[in-house]
Amino acid sequence: MSSFVELLTENYGALASGFWVTCRLVVGSFILAAVVGTLVAALRIAPSKWLQRLGGIYVETFRNVPLLVLLVISYAGLRRSGVAIDTWTAGIGALGLYTAAYFAEVLRSGVFAVSRGQIEASLSLGFDYPQTLRRIVLPQALRTVISPVGSITIAMIKNSAIVGAALALNDMLKEARILSSRTFDTEAAFFWAVVGYLILTVAATIAIRRLEQRYAIRR
Amino acid sequence: MGYLFDPDNWEWLTTGNNARFVFEGFLVNIQIALIAMVLSLIAGLVLALARLGRNRLITGAVGVWIDIWRNVPLLLLILYVFLAMPQSWKRTWEDLAPGFLSDVLQDGSVFAALIALVLYNSAVLAEIMRAGILSLDRGQNEAAVALGLTYWQRMRLVILPQGLRRMLPATVSQLITLNKDTTLVSIIAIQEVMRHGRILTGQNFFGGVQAPILQVFLFIGFMFIVTNLALSRLSRRLEIREQQRTGTTVKPVTGLEDQVVTVRA
Repeated sequence: MSSFVELLTENYGALASGFWVTCRLVVGSFILAAVVGTLVAALRIAPSKWLQRLGGIYVETFRNVPLLVLLVISYAGLRRSGVAIDTWTAGIGALGLYTAAYFAEVLRSGVFAVSRGQIEASLSLGFDYPQTLRRIVLPQALRTVISPVGSITIAMIKNSAIVGAALALNDMLKEARILSSRTFDTEAAFFWAVVGYLILTVAATIAIRRLEQRYAIRR
Repeated sequence: MGYLFDPDNWEWLTTGNNARFVFEGFLVNIQIALIAMVLSLIAGLVLALARLGRNRLITGAVGVWIDIWRNVPLLLLILYVFLAMPQSWKRTWEDLAPGFLSDVLQDGSVFAALIALVLYNSAVLAEIMRAGILSLDRGQNEAAVALGLTYWQRMRLVILPQGLRRMLPATVSQLITLNKDTTLVSIIAIQEVMRHGRILTGQNFFGGVQAPILQVFLFIGFMFIVTNLALSRLSRRLEIREQQRTGTTVKPVTGLEDQVVTVRA
């Protein structure tokens, strides 16, 4: 056990910087995923067949491609084809757009969880379609999707490890690998990486539980 | 856009046996995915049943086991199992791997990859299956007990047929995730599709034109889209067929797969 503590105290700087990189990746990707996911969900429930189809294509594409392939395309692929993209943009872009597909699906199913009668009632009361969405449907839909959005966020935190492996970003896992090959103490190095990821996933779990207690609708 | 569709940039696909080379790598992924799927489904069912058992000690221990593997990034798990696994295990796999597997899969590192994939996915699938079984009405089990059925008869004839139908959508979406996650084993130097793509686009590739990265990996992504869409179509078919056969609509269990897509309505 002492070797575990020793490894942490001696390499605290490296591990902390890895943790920080992972944090920034996760926060950046979450914001992107939330924005793009909402836009795609809006396409999916739009009153036009073509817009719906467009949203569907987005979801089916990004949901069925491995994240690692997206990362290679967004960094090495774009660079080789002449687009000067940097590692952060590529990493946050790929992870965010990948997660956005799941985000959109969850939001869409949340909207469908609001019963039809409410929409019809709202329309007959004289609200127009955007008003109905904004005032009646979305407030309820957002409350039902808190818990699945939490699962997606936790999956995204775990997926952020793939970004560091594919691009030159020294995230939590990358720092642990460097430490493990330098000190030959694989157990200790990976143990602290797991602790780092657990801090993030547990924090996300607690935040989601708080939100649920305050806002969720029990169905 | 011009760059993307420029025929010169797609020439690699028809040059030599490049397309075949990429496809062979993809077949390695499919094989790893299939083996891991079968093993994870079996292990997941065992874990789920163990967690639903009566012995407090066993259910508690299994619960901790599941929570540990479910919450670790899969990539970290693959790397750790690969680095920490004793050489003798890898050699045992190389000696004992079934002959029908291709040469790539006879390598010892594949054993590490399979263990990591199964540890992770069996834990996720166990939670899905447990939720499927728990979602059934208590009366189902009680009625089966009252009819004098033994534990295994109850499971086989009453609980599992109904529970499995409810967990099908979540299970399939987890299997799609598993299929995508097989690309992660490239990190421990297994020669699968990502590695083949890298070789094709590498600086010192001698087999003809050096292929453009964007197009090669778009092609690889396309292959994954096709297989995963086929997988989800298949599950949809299965659902509809079961609905028609049994004449009932099933309320699926959701929210426990890795990447959730639906909300309980």
